[in-house]
Amino acid sequence: MLAFSPVAPGFLGRTALAAAAQSQDRDSVLVVIQLSGGNDGLNTVVPYEDDAYHRNRPTLRLTSERVLKLESGLGLHPEMTALLRLYREGHLAIVQGVGYPDSNRDHEAAMRDWHTARPGETLTQTGWLGRAIDRACKTGQTDVPGVFLGPIPSPFGLQTEEAIVPAIKSSDQWLPAGEWAAASRLDPPGSTAGAPAGANPLPEFLRRATLDASAGAARLQAVRQGAAARGTDGYPDFPLARTLQSVAQFIRADLGIRIFFAELGGGGIGGFDTHAGQAANHGALLRELSESVAAFLEGLRRDRLLDRVWLMTFSEFGRTLSENGRHGTDHGAASPVFLAGGGLKGGLVGPHPSLTDLEANAPKFHTDFRRVYATVLDRWLGFDSLQVLGRKLSPLDLAV
Amino acid sequence: MQEPAQIGSRKARPEDLDDPSWAWAPYRPDGRRPWSLELAAHLYRRGAFGANWGELEHALADGPELAVSKLLRPKADVAPFNRAYDAYEKAAAGSADGVPAWWLRRLLETPHPVLEQMTLFWHNHFAITNARVKNPAMMCRYLQLLRRNALGRFDALLESVLDEPAVLICLGARANRKARPCLDGARALMEQWTLGPGRFSEPDVQGAARAWTGWFVSQDEAHYIPREHDSGAKKLLGREGDFDRKDLLRLLLEQPATAQLLVRKLYRWFVSETVSPPDALVAPLAADFAKDFDLARLLETVLRSNLFFCGYRQKIKSPVQFAVGLVRALEGTVGTVRLASDLADLGQDLFQPPTLKGWAGGQCWINRFMLPGRAKLAEELLAGSGPYGAKLDPAATASKYGQSAPGAARRFLVQLFFQGDLPEETRQALLNGGSASDSLRGFGGLLAALPEWHLA
Repeated sequence: MLAFSPVAPGFLGRTALAAAAQSQDRDSVLVVIQLSGGNDGLNTVVPYEDDAYHRNRPTLRLTSERVLKLESGLGLHPEMTALLRLYREGHLAIVQGVGYPDSNRDHEAAMRDWHTARPGETLTQTGWLGRAIDRACKTGQTDVPGVFLGPIPSPFGLQTEEAIVPAIKSSDQWLPAGEWAAASRLDPPGSTAGAPAGANPLPEFLRRATLDASAGAARLQAVRQGAAARGTDGYPDFPLARTLQSVAQFIRADLGIRIFFAELGGGGIGGFDTHAGQAANHGALLRELSESVAAFLEGLRRDRLLDRVWLMTFSEFGRTLSENGRHGTDHGAASPVFLAGGGLKGGLVGPHPSLTDLEANAPKFHTDFRRVYATVLDRWLGFDSLQVLGRKLSPLDLAV
Repeated sequence: MQEPAQIGSRKARPEDLDDPSWAWAPYRPDGRRPWSLELAAHLYRRGAFGANWGELEHALADGPELAVSKLLRPKADVAPFNRAYDAYEKAAAGSADGVPAWWLRRLLETPHPVLEQMTLFWHNHFAITNARVKNPAMMCRYLQLLRRNALGRFDALLESVLDEPAVLICLGARANRKARPCLDGARALMEQWTLGPGRFSEPDVQGAARAWTGWFVSQDEAHYIPREHDSGAKKLLGREGDFDRKDLLRLLLEQPATAQLLVRKLYRWFVSETVSPPDALVAPLAADFAKDFDLARLLETVLRSNLFFCGYRQKIKSPVQFAVGLVRALEGTVGTVRLASDLADLGQDLFQPPTLKGWAGGQCWINRFMLPGRAKLAEELLAGSGPYGAKLDPAATASKYGQSAPGAARRFLVQLFFQGDLPEETRQALLNGGSASDSLRGFGGLLAALPEWHLA
């Protein structure tokens, strides 16, 4: 965003505003989807040729006839046909065996480890994305680099020290109230002509912020009206799909948001925490994930935005290899992370974790989750992962 | 802002600001810097949470000296009010949303708003969070401690803060064992609460943590267990000795940096967010404060000062001030459970500041989502129906002061919200725009959406 001279007339301010909005076109965007409850990685990316898998999962196992085959004896859960399509098009990368040393198997503690990216440091006050957002904020600007969309309280991963990260519960929540749009017209920037140097910068800052926010909201409204004309716009009728539809609208409206955080499985009963009767519940969640993400990417492609966006999933842990006798699985360790989008090398990343060399009945990790974070920070968002993560980790080779 | 002539001329000359004896001397109105409705409103925005029309008129008639005195020492009997609210708050402390809701209710109703400004200041200074403490009753107790000491002596406040179980829990100092001194707590004490960053070394942190050993939280109280105190010799801030917590606090308070940090924070809270004051301005006030750490005297000096009245509009309202100021100006009331949750969405979740550094404030409050969020909150507060009910009614306020006709009521609201401090074109557009039949509620919402309303 250009800095406005305090003496710029109002119309110049508006021109500069439009130019600045266009200059953001090339900014990359990261969409993070949290799978709350501990996703069963073994029934998500299925090692259907592995005897140990079938032996340990007498009722939950997915057979070779049912899985959606990828390669190397691995297949996706049968409800994920839409993600299989993305995989074949090269828009889906599956990072296998992601976790961390001495990983926690308590929901809250493990989720906190993923959110802070500082496992076990219980006094950490900020989230990894929150730290990225704080560093991306610049004094005097009104862009918000990150937002949360969803019905649950804002996740700790977005906890900042300074910036205020909006928690958007419904997509029309931030559309302009009439008074507010009128206020930006009544008192536009640039009326401080001749103000002495060193004068109070705050009135002009607020005028510019009001105009800027009003202009952004008008763009969002235009995008939403266009979308309304196109009906469902290809999005299925899932809460996650509606959230991602809003994300796509925010991206198209060029509001300067680099990081979106959405969630699947929380706020209801159980989510991915499938201790009992896993099959139906897990299948429904994976279907919602798969079809929502595919519709999102399809919409981005239609709007020629696909090359600007990466989407990443994560869950606090995977689940145990063996069933627990209630047609469910218990808290585990490593699980796969999905990355989808343009500008991405699709395919399987790293081997499937061994099913014979386990850690308390669950697959061991081989790729630290902070390497995935470092990848999206360094290679995609262009943020310095050293500053955000506090240590240098080698990124994965995922960017084209 | 196109400042009206009389406001521009009240600006101090640059050479004045470099002269501490002028800067901290009480403001005396004269021809060059006359007392005005704008300055009375400034005093109330900073010292209170904004003024209603009656308060503005009285302050204008009183002049700055008496107006400041009335703010600091209100005639109303404050003690019974606060006792009653302490009891309400305690009774509501079973639920996490009860405690912030009662604090907001107190902010709306209090006859002693400057005390609440200082309580909020201390909450922002000793910025512990219920997100970690997870015990509203303890947070309630902590806040009541801050309020009791808000205008007392800082040394006493600091010591009693360290006795609060909520504080120890939030610092991760639930068990400050001889074998495992709590370094994080010691660091927070030195960096955030006393000396400030860069004024101590890592060995100082270790010395401080060891001096602090022996303190535990058990059964919701802080206890000192002598056998867990490390009684060996410690090095601390250039001294050496068998220091305990009392010595640690004494050594921290002896450092000029502590008084300076507090003066700087108070300056940013009450005077200006736009410039950081030069050391030469801070030093004399800090030196005077360090004599006895009397907070009431320090605050009084600040609020009476030339510098304070030069900080006109150099601060952005926090969400709490934005909403509480609106309700207090209109002399109504609103439901505060919902308000606490809406203010959290706007970035100020009472009892849950983001980190130990408190809220960053200033321009950080404002972004492209928070501005429409604030406008929407103001609209809902004024709507007359919906989540906030009908007890906030600008027409009733205007007619209380004899301004019932539509045009007069609008002029009254503009005067109440902005005094003479609005660009002339904006004022004209406001007063001439729309039709007389448009509701005064909508007009109030429009005023609260203007850029100027976000300035404190």
